[in-house]
Amino acid sequence: MSQWYPKKGRVIFHIDMNCFYASVEMAYNPMLKGKPLAIAGNPEERKGIIVTSSYEARAKGVRTTMTLWQARKLCPNLIVMRPNFERYRTASKEMFKILAEITPYVQPVSIDEGYMDITESGHLGNPLEIAENLQNKIKNELDLPCSIGIAPNKFLAKMASDMKKPLGITVLRKRDLQQKLWPLQVGEMYGIGEKTANKLNAIDVNTIGDLANGDVYQLKRVLGINGERLQNRANGIDPRQVDPEAVHEFKSIGSSQTLPQDTTNETEIRNLMHQLADSVERRIKRKQAAGRSVQIMIRYHDRKTITRSKKLQAYIENKEDILYAANELFQKHWDLEPIRLLGITVQDVEVKENIAQQLDLFTYEKEAEKEKLYTAIDKLTTKYGKSPFMQVKDEEKEDQPRTSFQKDFLDDYKK
Amino acid sequence: MKFIIQRDQLIASVQDVMKAISSRTAIPILTGMKIEAKQHGITLTGSDSDISIESYIPAEEDGIVHVENIEEGNIVLQAKYFPDIVRKLPEKTVEIEADSNLKVTIRSGKAEFNLNGQDAEEYPHLPKLQTESSFKIPTDLMKSLIKQTVFAVSTMETRPILTGVHLKLENNNLTFTATDSHRLASREIPVPDANIEFPSVVVPGKSLNELNKILDDTEELLEINVTNNQILFRTKHLYFLSRLLDGNYPETSRLIPEQSKTVIHANTKELLHTIDRASLLAKEERNNVVKLVTNDNQFLEITSNSPEVGRVAEEIAVQSIEGEELKISFSSKYMLDALKAIENDEVKIEFTGAMRPFIIRPADGESILQLILPVRTY
Repeated sequence: MSQWYPKKGRVIFHIDMNCFYASVEMAYNPMLKGKPLAIAGNPEERKGIIVTSSYEARAKGVRTTMTLWQARKLCPNLIVMRPNFERYRTASKEMFKILAEITPYVQPVSIDEGYMDITESGHLGNPLEIAENLQNKIKNELDLPCSIGIAPNKFLAKMASDMKKPLGITVLRKRDLQQKLWPLQVGEMYGIGEKTANKLNAIDVNTIGDLANGDVYQLKRVLGINGERLQNRANGIDPRQVDPEAVHEFKSIGSSQTLPQDTTNETEIRNLMHQLADSVERRIKRKQAAGRSVQIMIRYHDRKTITRSKKLQAYIENKEDILYAANELFQKHWDLEPIRLLGITVQDVEVKENIAQQLDLFTYEKEAEKEKLYTAIDKLTTKYGKSPFMQVKDEEKEDQPRTSFQKDFLDDYKK
Repeated sequence: MKFIIQRDQLIASVQDVMKAISSRTAIPILTGMKIEAKQHGITLTGSDSDISIESYIPAEEDGIVHVENIEEGNIVLQAKYFPDIVRKLPEKTVEIEADSNLKVTIRSGKAEFNLNGQDAEEYPHLPKLQTESSFKIPTDLMKSLIKQTVFAVSTMETRPILTGVHLKLENNNLTFTATDSHRLASREIPVPDANIEFPSVVVPGKSLNELNKILDDTEELLEINVTNNQILFRTKHLYFLSRLLDGNYPETSRLIPEQSKTVIHANTKELLHTIDRASLLAKEERNNVVKLVTNDNQFLEITSNSPEVGRVAEEIAVQSIEGEELKISFSSKYMLDALKAIENDEVKIEFTGAMRPFIIRPADGESILQLILPVRTY
């Protein structure tokens, strides 16, 4: 162990890929380097939204979630590309493989960021050396820039990686908090979105320092239990561990999509609901899981968004069941205003291994028909240990995630 | 209206009537309690339009005076405050007086409450049922019937009819059946002197739960009247009226297996306690599952496994195991509910396979039937 490592406590990295999609495209096609590039959902449609953009485009004011139309006005020579998820997935997998060479304690968070716990990697050098080597390796081997935050916990590491981009390495120690973190606006803190920031501003908590020194009871009153958690983080306290298995845990599986134009047309809505339920079913089956709550999201033409959910009596996994519950919610809560976006999410998700299916008095005959098959499987399981059978799942190539939040594929970066 | 009443009598009646009063009701006056004073006694009424309860306190009973100085009249009082007031009054007697301006005064010792009442004329009239077609059973037997079945009603509104208990009176046999489609509970009792029959009425589970709470554990007879949309339960001083559920109750008798492949005889309490222990780790809903495996001809192994928590296994000796070997998983909660409903020291459990319903009965008779659908583990 070297002097660079704390005797107590840990050394955590947060690796954040810079403009990931745009950088990957530039690595594939170096001609794009140095040019303003944007990746947009649907370049042809008027509501195409910028998913990410290069620093050159950002310099002109292009921002994520802007419509294409707005972006082009700011930056007329903007190069726009459709996302190419297969490329991003491959690049992401390679990137995580490089991280995994340093330590097994790697926790992917999304396609382009992850945490590492290098407390026990002292043999590879001091933390700064490890970070520099890692950054260079990702740059040289994958031609991709990243920023690294080094800190005693996940929250500070995350805040640190954000401080210098691109290709930054930032160390954030607890003793630096007052100077580096506290002057920032609360809205810049990881975990605080616009709504939370507004609530905090309303009680005169404007900077992260205000939050750190705020009255915990008042914070709890405004934000509930999360208020205390955020205050702890502002004080540099974050007990979460780097959990390599965390990516396997999922509580919900959902899918949402923006309509080509705002609509009240029921046929169009019904078709989209079908598509969404279909996509959720495909992903839930891919994970061999089932869920017990269904949530729908409706975003209206004025961006007003509602989510409504419903707990079910039994676990479901099939499209028909998902759609039935989702439609029920939709019928109950749609106020007939034009809709921009719809989403269906199955929540309380569990892998099937952990759940038992309660048979039903009025339908058990159907299940009971398969009893002999199950008994046979059971006997073989007893004989050979873990079940030698698996439900065949269709590998689907076209099963492309539509957003960076769908991180199913991260399950298998180690394979 | 004016009267002086024994406080204990009043408390008991108010508590009974409160079971029917809800603060959320479509008809505002139903948030109140109606008090009616007649020379022969006081009647309290509460209703949420699903259930209506009347409790009668006679002025005098068995030579004991409950109510004195009665001036006839009636009033409706806010039920939100009345029960607490009555309970906390200082003396053994309470004087209640309402004037022509609907102002109510409640006095006890030196305490005096002045409340605003409402006009009893505005209180809806409860339907009075014809008493011709009725039958009687002992009150404590009715309580058993309810306790042994009502827990199995569905709590989900997806099939509203299953939130009720199905009652049938045919060939002088009264049957109670309840199912939430995952388990079924039923009990049959003979009613030798019933002069009526009805093939099917469905009483909301909630009504029966409330009825069970206010019925005393006595052998006194309870009179039951049934019409096509209401059911009335009546004791000497209590009148309990409930709406019936609309719709057809599913035919359940053909779903109950008639043959069995494995039969177990076990001590009810021992099995109950074993399942109860095994369920300690299975409390979380999704894993509320225990597994039962037959071992030789004498032992059952009960196990439960919660990945994050741990594992429990217990072997229990039983009187006998006949038939095929068995391995079956089921909800520990359903099993506990069912075993608690069995009044006998010994139970007989009949299985027809791991994917089919199994039946639990007292070893000595067939009048109670508890049926549970197993779970299939993946």
